Amino acid sequence: MLVVCGLSIGLILSAMSSKALLQEGKKRGMALTSGLSFRLSEPLLAMDLLQMKNLIDNVHSQYDDVMYIFLLDASNNILAHTFSGGFPIDLLHVNADGGRPQPLLLATEMGRIYDFNARIVLGEKNLGRVRLGLSRSDLDAQIHKQQAISLITTLGVVSLGIILALWFSRTVTFRLNRLRKSAEEIVKGNLDVQAGFSLEKNCWEITGCGKEECPAYGDTRRRCWYLPGTLCPDCLDKEYPLKIASCRNCPVFRQNFGDELQDLAEAFDVMAVTVKNHIEELTEREKTIGKQQRLLKTIMDVTPDFITLQDRDLTYTFAGKAFCEYFGFQEKDVIGRTDFDLFPGHQADLTFHEDKQILITGRPLVKEITFERKGGRKWFHVVKVPVYDQDNSIIGLLLTARDITMLKQFQEQLVQSQKMEGLGRLAGGVAHEINTPLGVILGYSQLMLDDVKDEELLENLKIIEKQAKACRKIVSDLLGFSRHSHSVREAVDINASIREVIALVEHAFSLNRITIIQALDATIAPLTGDKEQLQQVWLNLLNNAADAIGQDGVIFVQSGRNIRRHGIEISVTDTGQGVDREHLGKIFEPFFTTKQVGMGTGLGLSVSFGIIKDLGGNISALSPPPEEYLPRNFTKSEHHGPGTVFIVDLPVQRTK
Amino acid sequence: MPDKARALLMLLSAFLLLACGGDEEVIKVSLEKRQEIAFRPQSPAITYAYLPQYSHTESFKRHQRLVEYLAEQTGLPIRQVFPDTFAHHISMFGEGKIDISFSNPFVYVKLANQYGARAMTRIIEEDGRAEFRGQIIARRDNEAIRSVEDCRGKSWVAVDPSSAGGYLFPLGHFVDHGLTLRDFKEVAFSGGRQENVILGVYAGLHDIGSIREGALRVVEDKIDINQIKVVASSRWYPGWVYAYSPTVSREVVDKIRDAMLKLDYAHNPEHRAILEAARFIGFVPSDDRDFDPVRELSGKVGLDLD
Repeated sequence: MLVVCGLSIGLILSAMSSKALLQEGKKRGMALTSGLSFRLSEPLLAMDLLQMKNLIDNVHSQYDDVMYIFLLDASNNILAHTFSGGFPIDLLHVNADGGRPQPLLLATEMGRIYDFNARIVLGEKNLGRVRLGLSRSDLDAQIHKQQAISLITTLGVVSLGIILALWFSRTVTFRLNRLRKSAEEIVKGNLDVQAGFSLEKNCWEITGCGKEECPAYGDTRRRCWYLPGTLCPDCLDKEYPLKIASCRNCPVFRQNFGDELQDLAEAFDVMAVTVKNHIEELTEREKTIGKQQRLLKTIMDVTPDFITLQDRDLTYTFAGKAFCEYFGFQEKDVIGRTDFDLFPGHQADLTFHEDKQILITGRPLVKEITFERKGGRKWFHVVKVPVYDQDNSIIGLLLTARDITMLKQFQEQLVQSQKMEGLGRLAGGVAHEINTPLGVILGYSQLMLDDVKDEELLENLKIIEKQAKACRKIVSDLLGFSRHSHSVREAVDINASIREVIALVEHAFSLNRITIIQALDATIAPLTGDKEQLQQVWLNLLNNAADAIGQDGVIFVQSGRNIRRHGIEISVTDTGQGVDREHLGKIFEPFFTTKQVGMGTGLGLSVSFGIIKDLGGNISALSPPPEEYLPRNFTKSEHHGPGTVFIVDLPVQRTK
Repeated sequence: MPDKARALLMLLSAFLLLACGGDEEVIKVSLEKRQEIAFRPQSPAITYAYLPQYSHTESFKRHQRLVEYLAEQTGLPIRQVFPDTFAHHISMFGEGKIDISFSNPFVYVKLANQYGARAMTRIIEEDGRAEFRGQIIARRDNEAIRSVEDCRGKSWVAVDPSSAGGYLFPLGHFVDHGLTLRDFKEVAFSGGRQENVILGVYAGLHDIGSIREGALRVVEDKIDINQIKVVASSRWYPGWVYAYSPTVSREVVDKIRDAMLKLDYAHNPEHRAILEAARFIGFVPSDDRDFDPVRELSGKVGLDLD
């Protein structure tokens, strides 16, 4: 392209200059002819032929390209000419009138000749003509020479142009390409680009400031005037482009400021670095947000509380894992749905009105609800709060619900305990008050037994005594339960106390084919306590075991050290009917009994419980008993029930 | 690469076009057919010459119309000829190459004395006089020359030894004031041209110059004539004169004189144009006696009229 353009221009210029040269040649010929015609007028008037000849010869010999000159008078007589050996008579017949545009191009044996015709005029009088022949060949030679020069010059200029174009492509195009590649890299997502060139000298090297804390210090990719917060005294703590005005006078700027392209590349680099930084910040934030989201999700998933979030239309936007699992939903099934889609109609309707109320009034709702599920009654503590946005308008509803079944049970137990405590206190008080008159009744009835001889009356008195004794037993139990009875503290040999009780009941039990097997650890240490109370516990446990068995059974009594609790463990295992799982928690409650009416007061185990608790120990029951609470190599008979074991743990050092 | 080929083709065609050299019409002429040219002698005619006090072209421009008028009026072939110098004019008259001579009175007296020339008319100058005088000029800033006396020892440039207004009359004036040719540092001649005298003084080549009155106006478009002062003027003498050769017949002379006297400057625009070109306004009849004062002057200054 460059070559074609250059050569075209060169050719056009060459043509123009050739034309100009030709014109100049013609003008020169005309000027020579006119000059001659002017100078020839005097000798023509004087008919000074010598001077005429001299004049034309002078011009003819002076210029090599003047081929001929001749002079005609007004009558076309040849007065003088420069030809030797006769005059070429044909010349008289061409270009004779001079009225044609001059010159006339003649083709002669001597080559092409421009023939000029100039009149010699004085005033209005025509004195004659001068004819001059100028060699066109010489002009052509000049023109060709000029064309050659033009061509060489053009070629030189074109070569220079090519060199310049190469230089241009090396500098400008190269830099533009670099910029383009950088842009492409950025489009691809690679922001680590450098379109600008590194500087020969960086700002800290030019100024020698040594301020390593300056953001420009050590930054070889960005020019300092693009950076905010540079510490140069001239920068005035401004940001680009505000600081550029002061930077223009800075030696750093003057040395490092490139052309527009460099400027563009550097601005591009700054943009890339800035974008990269922003993206890195965003990525970092995204990570943090992701981490927080995961944390939140973990919390939401792990918390046993039900958490849901509904929007204004009561559509679920979030449902916690506990909620979903409890109701057997997948989280994706819940999101975007309402209670009507998830729950039975009447329940959904109830909840809908309740929720709407909260959304309208903005008043939070706190309630406890209960419903029956498989596996028992469940209690939930439900909190519903409205969710506000920035404009303080309600945008949704947050529900949290906690399973408080356990708490409820404890509450019930607490109420029961309080009830029992009051009852015990009442019973204790009543028993105490009854105890004395009862003693009087028993004393008098016994006195009367000694005195009365009537058989029938005696029989009645014996019934009274018996029933009074039964009452005394009840009173005594009540007093024991309410610990109103007096207790003594002494060292008690547990094994001995157990053996004594067993010896007491062994015979009676054997009548019902109940065998008592003992496995007492002789190494256990004695402990401090009330021997009678402890024996009452053993008696209660053995009686209970015997009652559970009825007939044909084994009672296995075992004592030993409890390694875990650093104390003594006594267990009484029977092969009786066992205790239902639901009753296991209640058997130590006063007046709880599974026995038939009149067979037990329901106070035995609770009194035992009170005694053991008093000693700092613990009593519990398991049904059926685990292996370790059975005698070794024990084989169950078909008469045996599932059995129960009562385990008493007593601390060696009794502590309050 | 068809594009490159096309470009190359274009270049080549451009070169060819350039080489063609345009579309000028060429006429074929042979320079080989030679023929010797013999000058054809001019047809006989009455020759008319104006004393060459100006260039030939100026002489031609001034008198061509008058010559054509005279030829037309008389029906005679009249041709103007151009002597190169005053001496040439006199010699050509003597050789019979000039039939009608228009000259100053001094040359006329010489022609009359030497070749029997006879005056037929005198011209009326543009100031209305049929006589004229000479002037002595110097540069205006030349303070040393204020009077004729101051010209002593100075360099004098005159028109021609045969010039009347430009030499003879001023010389007579100097003689009248007691200065002879020997009293000047030098006496130079300008080859018969009045303009050259003025230009010589103007250029400072000579202290003083002598011209005929009216010559200053001829150069007013060439120089600032205010730089020139007229130191003195001579007395009036009879003006320029038309004389005829004794070889010209009486009849021809009468025809020409009549034609000259018929020119009416005041009333005929054609005549006026003819006379204006010749720089005079008319003719008066004249004869040889009118020029006796010139003869006297020649004798006084010691110039030889023969």
